[in-house]
Amino acid sequence: MSAALLMCLSAAAVGWGLPALLVPLTTSGMGARLGLTAWLTAMASVLTSLVLALQCLVSAALAGWSLLAEALCRSVAGRTCSPLVYRGAILELPLGAAALGGALTATALAWQYGRWLRRSRHRTRVHAEAALITGRALSSVGGTVVLDVAQPAAYCVPGRPPAIVLTTGALAVLDRTQLDAVIAHEKAHLAGCHHLLVAVTRGLATALPPVPLFRIGADEVARLTEMAADDTAARASGRPALLTALLAMGTGAAMPPAALAATAGNLTARVQRLMEPPSRAVRSRTWLALITLTVLIAAQPALLIRFAGA
Amino acid sequence: MRGFGDLESVIMQMVWDHDAPVTVRDLFGALSQDRVIAYTTVMSTMDNLHRKGWLSRVKDGKAYRYTATASREEYSARLMREALAGGGDAEAVLTHFVAEIGGEESQLLRDVVQKLARRRSE
Repeated sequence: MSAALLMCLSAAAVGWGLPALLVPLTTSGMGARLGLTAWLTAMASVLTSLVLALQCLVSAALAGWSLLAEALCRSVAGRTCSPLVYRGAILELPLGAAALGGALTATALAWQYGRWLRRSRHRTRVHAEAALITGRALSSVGGTVVLDVAQPAAYCVPGRPPAIVLTTGALAVLDRTQLDAVIAHEKAHLAGCHHLLVAVTRGLATALPPVPLFRIGADEVARLTEMAADDTAARASGRPALLTALLAMGTGAAMPPAALAATAGNLTARVQRLMEPPSRAVRSRTWLALITLTVLIAAQPALLIRFAGA
Repeated sequence: MRGFGDLESVIMQMVWDHDAPVTVRDLFGALSQDRVIAYTTVMSTMDNLHRKGWLSRVKDGKAYRYTATASREEYSARLMREALAGGGDAEAVLTHFVAEIGGEESQLLRDVVQKLARRRSE
């Protein structure tokens, strides 16, 4: 019983408290993959704590009920109502109700989550298929299609097979190397199964909307996957090509690479981190903090169960 | 070449580029000019597209005449609407290169672009 309470408290602490610690560490996108690991570990830790709490609660309720049943049988057999029965009933009824309520809620949430994931996967596959049929194949790159739409846009959709979709509006504002950078970015998403991370975390945010860790975490995971894909694209096509591609797609105007040399100052987080990579010292500090935090959070449910069990 | 998926795309492009309704024979004639393909493959692919709702057909003698249920522009616009809906409403998981940006952020980007343009012209 106290173990269940402890687990719930620790899940609540991580669920409500951790975003305040994690956001400052991951917001700049330093070590995007490390940041992703930290967020996903935190979510897994909260879910594990909740499942363990439910397990403790259910086993406590079951044990209590068998004791109560035993006392009841004895008093029926002896035709006396022992105080044990009253005490048992008063103690065990709320516990049983809590366990039942918890189990039902967990089942309902898990079912809702599963349904969301399945529906989302279906919609994604249908979209990929429709995009591949509708778009004109970009002959130089397999699996890449162009839709006749004036608005510049580029995205990828997992499916069988996956699709990278570009609009004619995007082709109009990108030059050859920028286009390569955009495609490298999208390919990194597909290769890294980023859609899976996004779907899983967005589904959690939909199933458990009041918990900040899941709500904020889903947005952060989406942002960090973008940054991770940016890193891959920058390595493949060079930072200037990626940066000018970002600017061109963001503003809808063509951006010659030469313009970049003069860039300074205010931009979105993604542009900023590409333009001004942090110093080695800052990077090491952030990495160290992230790794420590991740290990602590990952170990937390196991430590608690040891502590509560002892 | 992605197998059948690719052929579906090629056939839809041909149907869209044709003004009049087409038969399997019409498309088979055009397709077999630049690839080795069986008549039955074209037929079953068009049957699939009909089943999936991309093509509608009317019987004309022994053959079917196929037309697209919606134009390429309509399909493109529909896909774009779904792709740009973003966030929680759109359940399809797409990852954009640049997501829709808000007014403030797009103003910041425009400022930078202007600055760049000025410096370049100097």
